Amino acid sequence: MIRIKRFTIQPVHFWIAFLMLLVGAGLVAYGIVLVKGLSVTNLSDLVPWGLWITIDLSAIALSAGAFTLCAVVYLLGLKQYEPVARTATFVGLIGYSMALLTLLLDIGRPDRFWHALVYWNTHSLLWEVSMCLTLYLCVLLLETAPLIGRTDWMQARFPWLSNKMMHIHHFAPFLALLGLGLSMLHQSSLGATYGVLIARPIWYKPSLSVLFMFSAIVGGPALTVLITKVSGRLTSRAKVDDSLLEKITLFIGWALVGYIYFRFWDAFSMTYTYEPGRTEALRMMTSGPLAFNFLVGEMLLGAIIPAILLLVPRFRKSWSAQVIALSLIVAGVVAYRWDINMSGLLVVLTYLPQEVTTIYTTYFPSLIEIISGVGVVAYGALAITLAVRYLNLVDHSGKEKEVVETPVVVAGTD
Amino acid sequence: MEEKTIQRRDFLKFLVLGSVAAGGLRLARLTSASETGGSSPYRWGMVIDQDKCTGCGQCTLACRAHNDVPPEISWNRVLEAGKVGDKQVYLPRPCMHCEEAPCVDACMVGASYQRADGIVMMDYDKCIGCRYCEVACPYGARAFNWETFDGPNPAVPEWGQPEVERRPRGVVEKCSFCYQRIDRGLKLGLKPGVDEEATPACVVECPMGARKFGDLNDPESEVSILIKDHPYFQLREDLGTSPRVFYLPAREEAA
Repeated sequence: MIRIKRFTIQPVHFWIAFLMLLVGAGLVAYGIVLVKGLSVTNLSDLVPWGLWITIDLSAIALSAGAFTLCAVVYLLGLKQYEPVARTATFVGLIGYSMALLTLLLDIGRPDRFWHALVYWNTHSLLWEVSMCLTLYLCVLLLETAPLIGRTDWMQARFPWLSNKMMHIHHFAPFLALLGLGLSMLHQSSLGATYGVLIARPIWYKPSLSVLFMFSAIVGGPALTVLITKVSGRLTSRAKVDDSLLEKITLFIGWALVGYIYFRFWDAFSMTYTYEPGRTEALRMMTSGPLAFNFLVGEMLLGAIIPAILLLVPRFRKSWSAQVIALSLIVAGVVAYRWDINMSGLLVVLTYLPQEVTTIYTTYFPSLIEIISGVGVVAYGALAITLAVRYLNLVDHSGKEKEVVETPVVVAGTD
Repeated sequence: MEEKTIQRRDFLKFLVLGSVAAGGLRLARLTSASETGGSSPYRWGMVIDQDKCTGCGQCTLACRAHNDVPPEISWNRVLEAGKVGDKQVYLPRPCMHCEEAPCVDACMVGASYQRADGIVMMDYDKCIGCRYCEVACPYGARAFNWETFDGPNPAVPEWGQPEVERRPRGVVEKCSFCYQRIDRGLKLGLKPGVDEEATPACVVECPMGARKFGDLNDPESEVSILIKDHPYFQLREDLGTSPRVFYLPAREEAA
């Protein structure tokens, strides 16, 4: 017997409709890019990477909560954070799928995406990144399988498959170890992708890999906690234990202080001598077109203010201060990726022998780039929203524990 | 106890599956990678005499025709490079075919690779168009095909006939030292740098004779003698890329 539930329109339906609208517009833009090619972008031979690469790098960095929290739970053995790690894993999976979607858009020959796996140039940082990305995506899929397997719907419809999927949970420590290794490799290699290029003086330094890694460890958990806190406030389907999140936010706050220290020296220890290209790029970040983004967006709003909000106990007690701080951190990570990418591309060093000078380029994303980029972000938001509603993504009540433990008996007796 | 053995067995399964997958990828890679190894008696290089270059740009046009390069792309640009005395000096810039080419290291699929004779080549069938090589090249020698080039080539037939296949939209392209002319010429018993048919089109077309091409391994070749007897420079030597294009600087007394 089908029982018809009365359908009432709730605010969340408007939110979902809004996101679907953005995803739809993004799909149209995506199609236009695939058909017409990259000439519809504002990218050029001098600025070949722009908005999409920033979304791609940011999505990967902000997915870092998955490996960080899984390591905390399964390798450090702090089991109480397990429900948070589960949220982070799903956020990670969505983040990486967003990155792959954007990458597919950004390469000139999307039909050849598989070349990255089949043809190897082991000297290339991007080779290492694409290998790690693919393998880590598999790890994330396995890590997320129990979350999907334990839904009532899966258990009722496909009991065998559901059991198998939940059984994967036994391998969580191995997966956490594998995920930690793969993530540390490619999170830092993404920085090194820029850092090894001798042609771009502002990038050519070892610190980029460290900073990409560091900012990911700050930004990833921040996004996970932000999603958890906001959904806990907006829907009764999310069951949030604030005492669990308290320690994580404190950790984020202190990690942020460490990050500010490194970023400060990374940016300003370059100024002792004039070096063609590097000095100009730095000037661009302190007084040029990137200055607002760097000084205000990245440093003040993205790092210093959230550090204060998270570390002063009076602010940390307030829900809204925490949510503001975490949102600012997430935006700060994006601003950092934008600054790194643009500072190397907006200043081009000439190769004329008598006059090694710099020329300046400009870039502002085209409408198509923006719409398709927003579409990818909206897809991520939509996936998280639906997961909070239908997959119990945020559930700190501890009720799911017994469900997960059931298959252990099944597995032990067969 | 029983639970433990099951877990171990599963863990082993997990390991075996993982190594089979890695091995499979490795195998796929071995069967598909283009061979860049081997050895060659030649090491091709170019010498450009800035005293002789008048900036006429015929090298660019010849290059466009012979390599079927679209009008908005230049494999070989001629830049203004200051003055010596009253004379305007030019700097023609092909691909440097660096010994330590940053683009070759950067390319994730190995579409940029170096032949045994030193030519930095593009495998247009492998390139996925990520444009990392463009960012990595210190000389701006690479260009991305933002659009399909399907019209007639304005440089053809006045400046020559296309000798290579047109590149599709979405891949990066660049100067190849006219490898097709070198390879074909060698097969016919010709000498690149001496016989016109075996020499890059820009060298052949230059009305001033400002460009010379030849084998750097051969001490008797014109390029070897030129860089032995004249002061020369390479672009951005400080980067350690060791370009194979050598410039003889413009001198005041010759102006």
